[in-house]
Amino acid sequence: MQAARLPNPGPTTEAPQARPEPLLYLGALNKTFGPVAALSGLQASVGPGEFVTVVGPSGCGKSTLFNIVAGLEEPDAGGILRFEGKSCHAADLLGRVSFMPQRDLLFPWRNVVDNAILALEVEGMPRDQARAKALKMLPEFGLAGFEKQYPNQLSGGMRQRVALMRTFLFERDLMLLDEPFGALDALTRAMMQRWLLDVWQKYRRTILFITHDVDEAIFLGDRVLVMTARPGSVKLEQVVDLPRPRRPEIVTSPEFVRLKRTLLDAIEEESMKSFQSSIAQEKPQ
Amino acid sequence: MPVSLRKLIRLLLGLAIAAVVWEGAVLLFGIRPYYLPRLSTILLAMAATPRAYVDGFLRTLAETLIGFASGGAFGVLMGVAFFRLRALREMVFPIFVVSQTIPVIAFGALVVLWFGNTLLAKAIIAFYLTFFPVTVNTLLGLETVDPKQVDLMRSFGASNRQLLLRLQLPTALPQIFVALRLAASLSLVGAIVGEWFGDTTGLGVLLLQAMFTENVVAIWAALLAAALLGTGFYAVVAAVERRLVFWSAEQ
Repeated sequence: MQAARLPNPGPTTEAPQARPEPLLYLGALNKTFGPVAALSGLQASVGPGEFVTVVGPSGCGKSTLFNIVAGLEEPDAGGILRFEGKSCHAADLLGRVSFMPQRDLLFPWRNVVDNAILALEVEGMPRDQARAKALKMLPEFGLAGFEKQYPNQLSGGMRQRVALMRTFLFERDLMLLDEPFGALDALTRAMMQRWLLDVWQKYRRTILFITHDVDEAIFLGDRVLVMTARPGSVKLEQVVDLPRPRRPEIVTSPEFVRLKRTLLDAIEEESMKSFQSSIAQEKPQ
Repeated sequence: MPVSLRKLIRLLLGLAIAAVVWEGAVLLFGIRPYYLPRLSTILLAMAATPRAYVDGFLRTLAETLIGFASGGAFGVLMGVAFFRLRALREMVFPIFVVSQTIPVIAFGALVVLWFGNTLLAKAIIAFYLTFFPVTVNTLLGLETVDPKQVDLMRSFGASNRQLLLRLQLPTALPQIFVALRLAASLSLVGAIVGEWFGDTTGLGVLLLQAMFTENVVAIWAALLAAALLGTGFYAVVAAVERRLVFWSAEQ
């Protein structure tokens, strides 16, 4: 996955390195909701097998970006959306991208296994076959022995793992994760991050991962995209050239800290902008 | 199950105490049978002519069940239709509301004119009382569906049918059952009122005959039989609810 990295990337690489065929390409994307511009001229690409993380100030349009890539919302006319080398509408992506929203959204009337196979069922796989497939994956997701439990009997970390398993079982080339660990306590979150990296390396999926947490973005990602304040676009594209597999101690290494400083500076600048514009909006009355 | 056994014993104990208090109060305060007969007198009267009560019970049960089942099914169907088709809802829902403001007695008279003294006529009156609450609660339940869950299902490529069967109806189920419990009682009311317009068997018939002959014991007997039917049916619906909607009670 990081074999394609150039040996000498600077701390910031303004232009994305030319890849032959990105899995997902977004160009000049705009999205407005009435008078509000959520995205403006957003450009990004995700290569096959890559783990790309997205950070940005709150309200920067990250969720809009994700809804577009999940196929739930169409961008304004004129934007470029390409998936697997073909230009397409957002709606064409429905059923082609496995999408995990912030909350686990488990169905309380389904037990662990039946929640995990939801997407497979929608695809039309017979239940028995889907269940057998899910049962084999349970241990890897730390859910062995819990297959018959219902969501209200599980801890937050376990519920999140069930949701991740549901996403993994929906085998698509691109996985979209929207702050999947945002609601977890710090300890559980750190464990889930390491575990996610293990699973990702084993299954070789491409991941686009939204987070608020800069540490998380660096720890997980091959590349970090920093978004601007609203209207959102990509402010900075930062290659994370840390070796894999990444150990937890890496967060204190000088390289990590240097990356974090660069990213934090960029985010800080955008946060100030969005803060000031919100004040400017309130003043003239 | 020891817990459910203990519950059952307590229930029976409560009933026994109520029976003893009834019997004792009538004897102790010398209440005239015209106002309140002894429980034992009523039970003996029922035991003397069990045939009439069993037949009446079964007949009213059949009317209640048919009315309940058709009203429940129609209610869920209309709830889903109103949820899906806003135009239909705006056209038809007001008519439903108007239909419910017609007193059931007036409606019953019409139904008997149309269908005669048949079992069907009674079932239709029971239907009339049940379909509306089920429609309203189905609609209400469907509207509580989390839009994020809908997005999730759509991102899996779910069709409208899959969305309905796998997400929307299960989400609405607790609300639907609230209405079904209500409908269980209402359908019995509908069946009994329907019998008052003329019939030869049924608990409503027994009640009416007893009223005409001022047979107080028979009135109480019909009442007890109706209470047994109503409570039993309600308990069955509630038990089905506990089984099907297990998650909602636990949360």
